Amino acid sequence: MSTREVITSGNELAARAAVDAGCKFFAGYPLTPSSEIMHVVSDLLPTIGGAAIQMEDEIAGVAAAIGAGMSGVRSLTATSGPGISLKAENLGLAQMTEVPLVVINVMRGGPSTGLPTRVAQGDVAQAKNPSHGDYKSITVCAGTLEECYTETVRAFNLADRFMQPVFVLLDETLGHMHAKATLPSLEEVQASIVPRKTFDGAPEDYLPYGAEQDQPAVLNPMFQGYRYHYTGLHHGPDGFPTEEIETCRLLIDRLFRKVDEHKDEIESNEEYMLDDADVLLIGYGSASLAIKEAIRTLREEHGIKAGLFRPITLWPSPEDRLYELGQKFDKVLSIELNQGQYLEEVQRSMGRRDIQKLTKTNGRPFSPADIIEKVKEL
Amino acid sequence: MSKIVMRFTGVGGQGVLLAGEIFAAAKIKAGGYGVKTATYTSQVRGGPTVVDIQLDDKEIWYPYAIDGQVDFMLSVADKSYQLFKKGVREGATIVVEPNLVSPTDEDRKKWNIVEIPIITIAKEEVGNVITQSVVALAIANTFTKALDEDLLIDTMLSKVPAKVHEVNKKAYELGKKYALEAMK
Repeated sequence: MSTREVITSGNELAARAAVDAGCKFFAGYPLTPSSEIMHVVSDLLPTIGGAAIQMEDEIAGVAAAIGAGMSGVRSLTATSGPGISLKAENLGLAQMTEVPLVVINVMRGGPSTGLPTRVAQGDVAQAKNPSHGDYKSITVCAGTLEECYTETVRAFNLADRFMQPVFVLLDETLGHMHAKATLPSLEEVQASIVPRKTFDGAPEDYLPYGAEQDQPAVLNPMFQGYRYHYTGLHHGPDGFPTEEIETCRLLIDRLFRKVDEHKDEIESNEEYMLDDADVLLIGYGSASLAIKEAIRTLREEHGIKAGLFRPITLWPSPEDRLYELGQKFDKVLSIELNQGQYLEEVQRSMGRRDIQKLTKTNGRPFSPADIIEKVKEL
Repeated sequence: MSKIVMRFTGVGGQGVLLAGEIFAAAKIKAGGYGVKTATYTSQVRGGPTVVDIQLDDKEIWYPYAIDGQVDFMLSVADKSYQLFKKGVREGATIVVEPNLVSPTDEDRKKWNIVEIPIITIAKEEVGNVITQSVVALAIANTFTKALDEDLLIDTMLSKVPAKVHEVNKKAYELGKKYALEAMK
């Protein structure tokens, strides 16, 4: 199929992807370095019968976006790490009530207000468990401008498939860098849309949370004759609160198994020059741009065969593939713009404690030279 | 064309970002690869800003300029000049706004420092200070010969409203004129 070439930034691509993927509602609060997403959806959504609202704060932003998701439309909010901290409680509500929603986090330096205009990857652990309680995060992480678009589209499909919030992690570098991106055609994107499941039987037989143990809730769009109840309390198949022992067990068991037993539908990785590599580099997001540049130089100028494993889906992690790679490679270097948040997952998945790390938390990107120097030391 | 790396520096609010976007977009239209990244501070207005532009015929992965590889820099604010000059390759040209930037004697030995009153030109000769980014664009392209001039001007005009086309064309011509004079 034909493709589209555009010259733009990662934030604008993510916003356009949402609209192309059928998103009809955005609510949020502007936060550097994510604000351009809100600017673009505010321009585009009203032209297709959708709506974008700047709410009074981050909490109201996610609350309104969840409300839209409850009503049955594809819904988006976007912010950066400090905004996710504020949205955390409501994100837990969306996990518990199984409301699909896409949450874009354009990562900046933290903790707290941190480094608002500078790059970081410090929200990887936050994306796994932003709110209290037990649930399974689905988090994808763009590593190129193209993926700011394609991963946002995929996130909407994952949200509807698994009926829960899905995080799209961008970072300041990707969000603001300006270059060419080659996108799939609009027809191809629209053909890839899989809307959420609905129940077509008699309203009196409808049990929204009465799903199989490996499946999500089936929440019909509102105002179509199907009545049900949302609550953040433990609830039974009909959605009403209960503390019945077995029901409570089954609910949380299902929130995990609906994701764990379908990882193959969620997992996505890139392997770059790994086939003949002697050194395994692991990185994601914009850091992978510097890593790829470093790999080219290491091979051409230093005779070191390095290759990259890049998880695109960060949560659930590609633990089986990481285990295999850990068996195959002696030298493994994990590279991330935080103090090693994903390193812990790599160690766990590989069952190894000898993974080397290269980290940076001063708001500056890795340069290829940083990586080359570290790899030469291994 | 081999890779060309340019750097524009100023303070937030001066509009140096736009020139970078125009360069990248024009290079891509010409069939190559162009990447623009901007770094600014949480001050937004008044904080030092740097825009890196890389133009190449090969695909560019890493989006930032690498220190020591900047082929041309233009600066309209002293604090950002001082912060970001170290990335410029020795012997390369740095165009500065002489009313706002003060290069040291050492700098003048290390680089080809060219003084062009970019902001005064925009304010007094073009008549609109906002056009300084287009004056800068013209100066950068005249020095580096990075891109076909017509293509660059067309790309620039496509990014500004029609009602200001004439004033921006004038800004480009003036920037080019001053650059050519400085190159004599």
